[in-house]
Amino acid sequence: MRYLRLYAHFMRFSFSRAMEFRLDFFFRIFMDTLWYAHHLVFFWVVYRHTSLLGGWTLDQMIVFAGGVFFVDAIQMTVLANNMWMLPIYVNKGDLDYYLVRPVSPLFFVSLRDFAANSFVNLLMAVGLLTWSLARYPGTLGAGAVAAYVALLLLGCVLHYSMQMLFIVPVFWLHTSGGLREIFWSLDRYRDRPDGIFTGWVRRVLFSLLPFSLIASYPTSLLFGGRPWLIVVHIAGVTVAAFLVMRWFWSRAVKAYASASS
Amino acid sequence: MRLFWKIAGIEARKRMAYRTDFWLNSIVAFVTELGVAYFLVLAMFGASDRMGGYSRNGMLLYYVSVILTARLVRPADLEWAISDDIYQGALNRYLLYPVSYGVMKYATQIGALFPAIVQVTLFGAWVPFVLGVPEGLHVTPVSACMAAGAILVANLLHFLTVYPIQLVAFWADNCWSLLVAHRLVVMVFGGLLLPLTLFPAWSQPIMNALPFKYMFAFPVDALLGRLTPGEYAAGLGIALGWCAAGAVLTALVWRRGTLQYTGVGI
Repeated sequence: MRYLRLYAHFMRFSFSRAMEFRLDFFFRIFMDTLWYAHHLVFFWVVYRHTSLLGGWTLDQMIVFAGGVFFVDAIQMTVLANNMWMLPIYVNKGDLDYYLVRPVSPLFFVSLRDFAANSFVNLLMAVGLLTWSLARYPGTLGAGAVAAYVALLLLGCVLHYSMQMLFIVPVFWLHTSGGLREIFWSLDRYRDRPDGIFTGWVRRVLFSLLPFSLIASYPTSLLFGGRPWLIVVHIAGVTVAAFLVMRWFWSRAVKAYASASS
Repeated sequence: MRLFWKIAGIEARKRMAYRTDFWLNSIVAFVTELGVAYFLVLAMFGASDRMGGYSRNGMLLYYVSVILTARLVRPADLEWAISDDIYQGALNRYLLYPVSYGVMKYATQIGALFPAIVQVTLFGAWVPFVLGVPEGLHVTPVSACMAAGAILVANLLHFLTVYPIQLVAFWADNCWSLLVAHRLVVMVFGGLLLPLTLFPAWSQPIMNALPFKYMFAFPVDALLGRLTPGEYAAGLGIALGWCAAGAVLTALVWRRGTLQYTGVGI
């Protein structure tokens, strides 16, 4: 309860700060609209030349794209600013401020800055996801849709955990972003349907670097995948990734040497 | 001119200084981009032999070429350098130097090109052995020279489209979203996301008139021997025309911006 109240404060501060920089507010909406458009254009052009991609039709692919937008909007609104700043705090010694507060440093560092200027995009992403599900010509049960959304939320947790696993090495490497650039490169796998990947790459994307579990595998639940297998797989990997990240974070904080470390 | 090359040399050395970071990030980015493109192409060609004028291997060669070309056209990080100077007040010292700020920044971009050339040479060395030259494409020394010329123009064109956007920093507190938006537009209409021949016929004249095609798809088309000398000359002409438009726009925005620049950073 205390954490929820604290988060409500974070949101209030973020909204009042965002209102100070109105131009940036609109720039960000513009950027995210283009990001959504570029995905839709991509699939639209590809499906002009083929009827199936990775086993999915265009209608199914649009549902998948809606899922990607939703996960990305949550990441951009809730986590992105915090993830960007973490290496800077570590390198400048500003993490001290977070460590001495009477709340979990991981909670504080990860969620303090709510990107209010991305909030409109979150609404837009929810709208696109709803639209993609509503326009789907087949029948989608309410239970399956609810499970899909729940799995996408788990996907957000998985994405966060993986991102942290790539950023936390900054405590030892003292580079500008840890291995963040590598994470961003690999993140491209999240935005493509898992059906196109085969062989060991597919196995890696379902286990060690589970980018396909974030948005793509949850979408299979709607289109004939084995529901329990999908749920157990995604939940298991997400919990494991989160626990490993927590352990890694606690090791990193112990290694933190404060100013200019 | 000597100063230009001196600045370029300093930037090239700076880029190579953080070798582990530089190579690790570059290799992972290249392998990932190529991996996604590879599986995408395999999936797309599941039911057909040709698409947009390419065979399967032809499209793979297109993707390898365009990914490597992008490294030469937009060396990493520099997209944010100018707006950072404005925000942090670092522009002050440049205003006192007896040399144009834009020319100095372009020299930096050219400097970043040298390590990128090394990368592209190494990353592209395997291509002839694995993909060869697929049917319908003609990679020759002449086409390579045409591509080199097109890449130089593309590099300048990219700089001159990003530059005025970065100058928005004189007025707005944050212009990185605009730079990301530019990146997305360039990806789609420049041919990084998909070969432009896959787009519908009605969109081709529009893309031919816009500057984005000349940043990536055009040099690759030149390399793969898909352009006649006439098409090549016309393309270069359009690209240089857009360079001139970008330079004029930059000069106008720069003049307005520096007039109200307070010099203390934001």
